[in-house]
Amino acid sequence: MKRRSKTHWAGIAIIVCACASGWAIDLQEELLTTNAAPGRYGGTLVVLQRAEPKTLNPVTALDAPSREVIRRMTADLVSINRATQQTEPGLAKSWTISEDGRVFLLELRRGLHFSDGHPMDTDDVAFTFQVYLDEKVRSPQRDLLMPGGQPVAVEKLDSYRVRFRLAQPYAAAERIFDSVAILPRHLLEPAWRAGKLAEAWNLNTAPSAIAGLGPFRLKEYQPGERIVLEKNPYYWKTSREGNRLPYLDRLEFRFVPAEDTQVLRFISGEADVLNRVSARNFEMLRQDARTKYDQLQDLGPGLEYNFLFFNLGSLDGQRYPEIASRQASFRNLGFRQAIAAAVDRDAIVKLVYGGRATPLWGHVTPGNRLWGNAALPKQPQSFDRARQLLRAAGFRWNSEQQLLDASLKRVEFSILVSSSSPERVKMATLIQDDLKTLGIQAQVVSLEFRALLDRVLNSREYEACILGLVSGDTDPNPEMNVWLSSGGSHLWNPGQKEPMTAWEGEVDKLMRQQMTTLDYARRKSLYDRVQQIAAENLPLICLASPNILVAARKDLGNFQPAILDHYTLWNVEQLYWRTPRGVSSSPKESRP
Amino acid sequence: MLSRYLLRRFAHIAFLLAGISALSFALLELAPGDFLGEAKLNPQLSAQTIAALREQYGLNKSLLQKYIYWLGSVAKGDFGVSFAYNLPVSTLLWPRMLKTLELTVSSLTLSWLIAVPLGVWSAANRRGWLDRVVSFAVSALLAIPDLVLACIALLVAVRSGIFHSGDPVLPVTVLVLGALPILVRHTRAALLSVSAEPFARAALANGIHGFELWFRWLLPAAANPLASLFGLSVAGLISSSLLVETILGWPGLGPLFLEAIGARDFYLVIGPVILSAAFLAGGTLLGDILLYMVDPRIRLES
Amino acid sequence: MKQFWHSARLPISLLVALHLAVVLAGFLSPEDPAKQNRKSALLAPMNIHFVDSRSKLHLRPLVTVEGEDRPLRFFVSGSQYRLLGLFRLRTHLFGLDEPSGIHLLGTDEFGRDQFSRVLWGGQISLATGWLAAVISVGLGMLLGLAAGFWGGWRDSVIMRGAELFLALPWLYLLLAVRAFLPLSLSPSATALMLIAVIGVVGWARPARLVRGVALSAKERDYVYAARGFGASAWYLATRHCLPETYSVAATQAALLIPQYILAEVTLSFIGLGVGEPVASWGNLLAPLRQFSIITSAWWMALPALIVVLTSWCFLRLEDALSSPSPRKHECEKMV
Repeated sequence: MKRRSKTHWAGIAIIVCACASGWAIDLQEELLTTNAAPGRYGGTLVVLQRAEPKTLNPVTALDAPSREVIRRMTADLVSINRATQQTEPGLAKSWTISEDGRVFLLELRRGLHFSDGHPMDTDDVAFTFQVYLDEKVRSPQRDLLMPGGQPVAVEKLDSYRVRFRLAQPYAAAERIFDSVAILPRHLLEPAWRAGKLAEAWNLNTAPSAIAGLGPFRLKEYQPGERIVLEKNPYYWKTSREGNRLPYLDRLEFRFVPAEDTQVLRFISGEADVLNRVSARNFEMLRQDARTKYDQLQDLGPGLEYNFLFFNLGSLDGQRYPEIASRQASFRNLGFRQAIAAAVDRDAIVKLVYGGRATPLWGHVTPGNRLWGNAALPKQPQSFDRARQLLRAAGFRWNSEQQLLDASLKRVEFSILVSSSSPERVKMATLIQDDLKTLGIQAQVVSLEFRALLDRVLNSREYEACILGLVSGDTDPNPEMNVWLSSGGSHLWNPGQKEPMTAWEGEVDKLMRQQMTTLDYARRKSLYDRVQQIAAENLPLICLASPNILVAARKDLGNFQPAILDHYTLWNVEQLYWRTPRGVSSSPKESRP
Repeated sequence: MLSRYLLRRFAHIAFLLAGISALSFALLELAPGDFLGEAKLNPQLSAQTIAALREQYGLNKSLLQKYIYWLGSVAKGDFGVSFAYNLPVSTLLWPRMLKTLELTVSSLTLSWLIAVPLGVWSAANRRGWLDRVVSFAVSALLAIPDLVLACIALLVAVRSGIFHSGDPVLPVTVLVLGALPILVRHTRAALLSVSAEPFARAALANGIHGFELWFRWLLPAAANPLASLFGLSVAGLISSSLLVETILGWPGLGPLFLEAIGARDFYLVIGPVILSAAFLAGGTLLGDILLYMVDPRIRLES
Repeated sequence: MKQFWHSARLPISLLVALHLAVVLAGFLSPEDPAKQNRKSALLAPMNIHFVDSRSKLHLRPLVTVEGEDRPLRFFVSGSQYRLLGLFRLRTHLFGLDEPSGIHLLGTDEFGRDQFSRVLWGGQISLATGWLAAVISVGLGMLLGLAAGFWGGWRDSVIMRGAELFLALPWLYLLLAVRAFLPLSLSPSATALMLIAVIGVVGWARPARLVRGVALSAKERDYVYAARGFGASAWYLATRHCLPETYSVAATQAALLIPQYILAEVTLSFIGLGVGEPVASWGNLLAPLRQFSIITSAWWMALPALIVVLTSWCFLRLEDALSSPSPRKHECEKMV
């Protein structure tokens, strides 16, 4: 024993201390080990946004740029993995669901901290849901947390377990938890109690007053120019090898309104990621010598569906006599079927999207792996079939080949499009030409987006319109408002008190049923039936879904874009630079 | 006399701003759609939430109520609150206004410094072939709208690789190229008409020619339209760079204003309009004062 | 007058030729401007040559379509059009036998012939330029003269009004106006309405300049003299002040026509231009907003040359107009 020198004991002491501290961290923090490939630490990622975020408040944020930034700074209990489109554990390490699907028991990871070091527990979870469900706060996400019209009941069992009780069974309920950011009670409770939560965390707030559980935290905001996030040292996810994520030091969002300017900045090396590129610019990037070896990916169809629809609601005949008289044709199913038969979807895919799109005959795109009805007929353009359908529906042609309806009036109507969407204007031009072949004179009216929405949703003063919608999730539940006849997004006839047609009534029934059915197979057959009814009655004549096109530097590792929002940054904590940054691969980079 | 005149003009400016604000409010109210229009399309939001949000933002208030609220807010220095940002409009406008002025003041100075000598030289060498070339170039430049100029400049800059985002050189170049043609042409036209006056012949007979003739004697006489034009240049300090800023991604008032229009963010739209109107009124006042100073033939009404 | 013609003969002849070509658009264009040819989207311009692929010389010009050499025919019967809005004709100056189309300036994204669209588009663009400029300058002269000549409170009111109009966010006004136009209005009528609005709103700038000149003119000695002789205000205004304003008004008018043509281009860039399928120069240039078009389909930029040429002609014309009159011509030789 005397042989053991002081150095020896010192060494042991050091080792024990090191183990204890390391061990202490491992004991206290229950981190999530992801599948992230090992990466290199360091570097800044520059991402471009079309508009700047308006607020950093997760509770009230409505617009996309704000949500894009906020989601990198916050975390949720259960996440939807964008690549697999399935749920996976987030802040909650496990959960159990009761037999009737109404009670969720979630167990949180222990020992986690907010980005300012403050520990996190179920008090924060309870506070979060209290705030989101508070009527006075008027959070846009409140309605998500009220399936069946009743708020979710949140009960704190102990420091790490929390129970959620739903008023009725709700299909895929755990998907609700995705994007409900857990808020820090220690920072926001005073504001909430004072009734000023909506004003908290605006763009002028100091970074020290904002904390979250996301991979990054706020560093700096320059009005109109950029918002800079820095690595969150307390982030709770690790790589496969157990290294704490994120790899990147900084994440910078810069605001560039015009897409072409964004592409130019990518080419010049100033930006690293383009979240959404148009087909033409994508081709250009593929051919430009400076970018052709970068990671330019065509992910196939996303969840966006573009469609043509007619005004089918009952109009005040006094106010809009012309539109009301034309509605007789619009309501004629044969008429709509003929229009659908005359549309040249191939031309839309080729000429509008440069081939990078998928033709649609229903609103569920091929990008949605689980819920598409494969049995729907996909008929190509056929003027013969269109003419047959029109004849059977009581329409005739006069000597000048112009189409006349049953009362011998010329069939002509206007198609509204948003002036800010050049793709839809082109679709309208193509359809206008196709309809001319049938003898229908269609006018393309390009209006500013808000004015268009006002006409379609409020004053109902329109005849036909081309719009596009993007589903929030692959699950059918976010589509409820579109298919329920009382829904606000039931575009062809929104907000009905009673369904106007038998088929709309049946769709109402089916959608409500699938919302409370827990078994996937049963739900799928219900939703398949909804898609079939939609295809038979054509309230929306679906046209095409553009492919999701993204771009990233060739040395960005772990880049795994997906077709669910956020296409490129959903796994931002796993992204890393393969070559050390600071040694520029392109001499034109300018990083302050 | 001058001070009375100025006092009257300032009263006019106050009336002008009040008039513009009232007119803008009326126009905005007339235009279809409001801030929550797009929210209606959002499948996540129920009608009740939207109705509650409308109450909160005061979208249901009558036009007069909104105007009175806004006047009160002006007195406080806020100029209203932006629905999207939930911040007072003045805090949003101030930093961006400075960035816009950075561009426009530079381009104003540069374009006048280049345009006047160019215009004089062009008038003096009227028949030469160089004048024809310059004339053609100026006309061609005039024929290209600002938007297209900005796009071309962007393309050229990136192809040649000298493009840096924080650098004002590119936007200023575009603005100068856009403003130059009109200034050159007006200077040239004014000088041509002045050079035909009898006193020009007299000066020539007295042996004054060349640089001295054109700059010391003819240019001041031609100052009448130029003074008004300068006033107009100053007047456009806020509004002339809107589209260029949006295309080139310069963080000025342009992108903010255009986005606010698209989103119907009421008070945020009124803010830059009033700012622009204030500069306009100030600019025309400046133009009138300059006119009075350079052209003694104008008597002000007493 | 001789002097004027000498310096202005080139732009005037070009403008006359242009307007004539545009009026005869139906006859001069080989294709229907709205006819889509979806298989021939974004084709490069076709060359006219006289030597065919077998190196044989022909007297009749040839065009290569899809690998085949096709002879160009003159006074062809093709798609129907209306000349001057009155006569329905089918004869075109040149073209090919059915079925293929000839595309001297290439095709656009829908396969429509650009050459025909440039000619037909000129009708809308030139009409809007003229209309708006006439409205602006007319209103501007009226109000500027009134303000400068009468002075006093009328001057203040008119000038404050001018400031109001200059300060109006015209983009917003246009959005509002566009949203209110009835749906059934044809695309050309809509465009004309929008441009008329721009024209009305644009009286402020000419008015200010005219006013400056009128202010100065009314203080001249001969005006005082005439007043001393008992001339009425109307006489003084029209005989003495008005002529002084002609040069400014002419400058403004000739500057404004191309400016309003460009305003239509700008409107098209932001989506408020003439509706499909009607062509206008703005419409034709709008795809250039995406610069990727320039790199992949350079011929889409050719209509810009016509716009630049038209602008140049108007500006040269304005130059000639604002040149001093023959009386002053002598001085030019010395100065």
